[in-house]
Amino acid sequence: MENKGIFSLLTDNLETFLQYTGFANATPGHILMILIGLLFIYLAIKKDWEPLLLIPIGFGIVIGNIPLFPGLSVGVYEEGSVLNILYQGVQKGFYPPLIFLGIGAMTDFSALISNPKLMLIGAAAQFGIFGAYAIALAAGFAPAEAGAIGIIGGADGPTAIFLSSRLAPDLMGAIAVSAYSYMALVPVIQPPIMRLLTTHKERLIRMKAPRAVSQTEKKLFPIIGFLLTAFIVPSGLPLLGMLFFGNLLKESGVTRRLAETARGPLIDVVTILIGVTVGCSTQADKFLQIKSVYIFMLGAGSFVIATSAGVLFVKLFNLFLKEGNKINPLIGNSGVSAVPDSARVSNNVGLEYDRTNYLLMHAMGPNVAGVIGSAVAAGILLGFLT
Amino acid sequence: MKKGLLILLLSVVTATLNIAGAQNMSDMRINEILVVNTDDFTDDYGNKSGWIELFNTSYGTVDIGGCYITNDPDNLTKYMIPRGDVLTKVKPRQHTLFWADSKPHRGTFHLNFSLENSGEILFISSDGKTIIDRIKIPHDLLAENVSYGRIRDGVNVMADKKNIDMSATWGVLSRTSPSTNNFGVDKEPPGMIFMKIDPYGVIMSFTAMFVVFLSLIILYLVFKNIGKYNIRISRKRAEKAAAGTKRVVPEEEASAEVFAAISMALHAFYEDNDSHDIENTILTIQKVTRNYSPWSSKIYTLRERPVKK
Repeated sequence: MENKGIFSLLTDNLETFLQYTGFANATPGHILMILIGLLFIYLAIKKDWEPLLLIPIGFGIVIGNIPLFPGLSVGVYEEGSVLNILYQGVQKGFYPPLIFLGIGAMTDFSALISNPKLMLIGAAAQFGIFGAYAIALAAGFAPAEAGAIGIIGGADGPTAIFLSSRLAPDLMGAIAVSAYSYMALVPVIQPPIMRLLTTHKERLIRMKAPRAVSQTEKKLFPIIGFLLTAFIVPSGLPLLGMLFFGNLLKESGVTRRLAETARGPLIDVVTILIGVTVGCSTQADKFLQIKSVYIFMLGAGSFVIATSAGVLFVKLFNLFLKEGNKINPLIGNSGVSAVPDSARVSNNVGLEYDRTNYLLMHAMGPNVAGVIGSAVAAGILLGFLT
Repeated sequence: MKKGLLILLLSVVTATLNIAGAQNMSDMRINEILVVNTDDFTDDYGNKSGWIELFNTSYGTVDIGGCYITNDPDNLTKYMIPRGDVLTKVKPRQHTLFWADSKPHRGTFHLNFSLENSGEILFISSDGKTIIDRIKIPHDLLAENVSYGRIRDGVNVMADKKNIDMSATWGVLSRTSPSTNNFGVDKEPPGMIFMKIDPYGVIMSFTAMFVVFLSLIILYLVFKNIGKYNIRISRKRAEKAAAGTKRVVPEEEASAEVFAAISMALHAFYEDNDSHDIENTILTIQKVTRNYSPWSSKIYTLRERPVKK
């Protein structure tokens, strides 16, 4: 009798335990998302595609899609859970400005300062954002959602998270994953467009070597840059402020420790947190929607538009420049702010046609201008749509 | 001297903090009043009485505990809003409602006067002297259950630089709106309004691109000129320095490419000649300084080996 009681107790407990396991709660959606997470990890390790982003996001996707028995207070969307607390940085939007602080502290704006006209390429590439915005509107998205989707074209993960957390929090997971995925795919997406839109002769253009930039100019850049852009678009203040502040820490020459922390441990910590929590936020029931598929398609479209706009703008710009001052249109793609990947793409494609024509330093100009441009664009979208 | 400076600095900081605190309260506005309530909102006790709505115009929480509300300009401290009640912390852009029922024992939000016989309502800072906002009650305009409020929540329409245009700021409202917005309750989100004007996003795209270009063009112009100025200054300095050495060399801006070429040449030269560049005074592009590390220090290795006895 007693033995039977113990047995039945054990069976009951085991049954309850089984109800709590992931096996009992798994859905095809969970399995699909876990596979996507594993694919991200594979691409990062095997193909070396943006491992610093894809490993945390990929593993985050796996964490976020472990099937849970609701109410255990462990899921990212369950208030008070550890993951939920870490996710606040994404939801409330305080991780992206911290990332921008680190980016500012590690970015050398010399290329831009020595040849300031390259800034305009960074502006032209932002057309990807607004092109995608118009397409998203036509596809039936609400204006705020369309704005959040459009920002994927800025190729700037932190900006995409920052803006979508304010304009369309429900779509943030899909937007963030889409933005980071396409950033990782920059070496795959951009070269065919660059080749398609340029002639052989244009690809061989040699640009004038950049002049040496004085330390005073480097110190002035973050201060003047911040004042000008923030006065024009105050809604971009968190991103612009942190970007230029980080750069001032680097260039002032007297805050080396702070700059090193910002571009080292701080940005690493925030990258880990933002990557994992964004990955976690792709919980199957929230993420696997037809809207997510549209977002991915529009994201790809915005990258294509941004790259094309950058390259075509350089070609147009060249019509007004004297011989010897012309710009190689292969650096037009780097106006999207995937730093430094898109600049690296410019350099690699350039080297394919002339093994001695190094475009990296020239491409860094529009590349960092793209960071400023996308932060300004985010500020405009916030100002118009909220 | 240093102590004096420190005291001065501390006083400035304290004064600034006090001003900042006062500024918080000064963000509060009287937003709407209902004098005769026979068929409108009821309080927690099920009673209908006149009410005063305050609005926090700022984007930060304001604690109005310790402030005063009065209907008597000669007695500014007639009703003190009790301190320590969490409900007196008014969230950003939110409202709070006071019942003018002459029953203050019923709680924090019940005043010790009624509105029927009041000519004016004043909201006073916690110092008991500073009038933050005041409004005269136009009894002749107000029928039963009709409220008088700001046309736009918390907004003063100015007639000129100093005076408020009362007729444009305040009005008889088409419906009472206690603890909610007087204007724009049914307002569409800005994005939707914008979409009506610009359904395809064309205006938005062009406007936004114009702003992005404008920002970067300004930045371009500024740094183009700073660059020019900088080159001019460095040329002048170089000329001055050259004048001191008698020989004036026509200066041309050395590019980063030139420096890179010199460095590469040096590097290639030393590599080809099997040279090393550890000697003092040799020109090198390699790191020659050695950082001290206890791990490589001889001091720590000069120890006796343990001997087994």
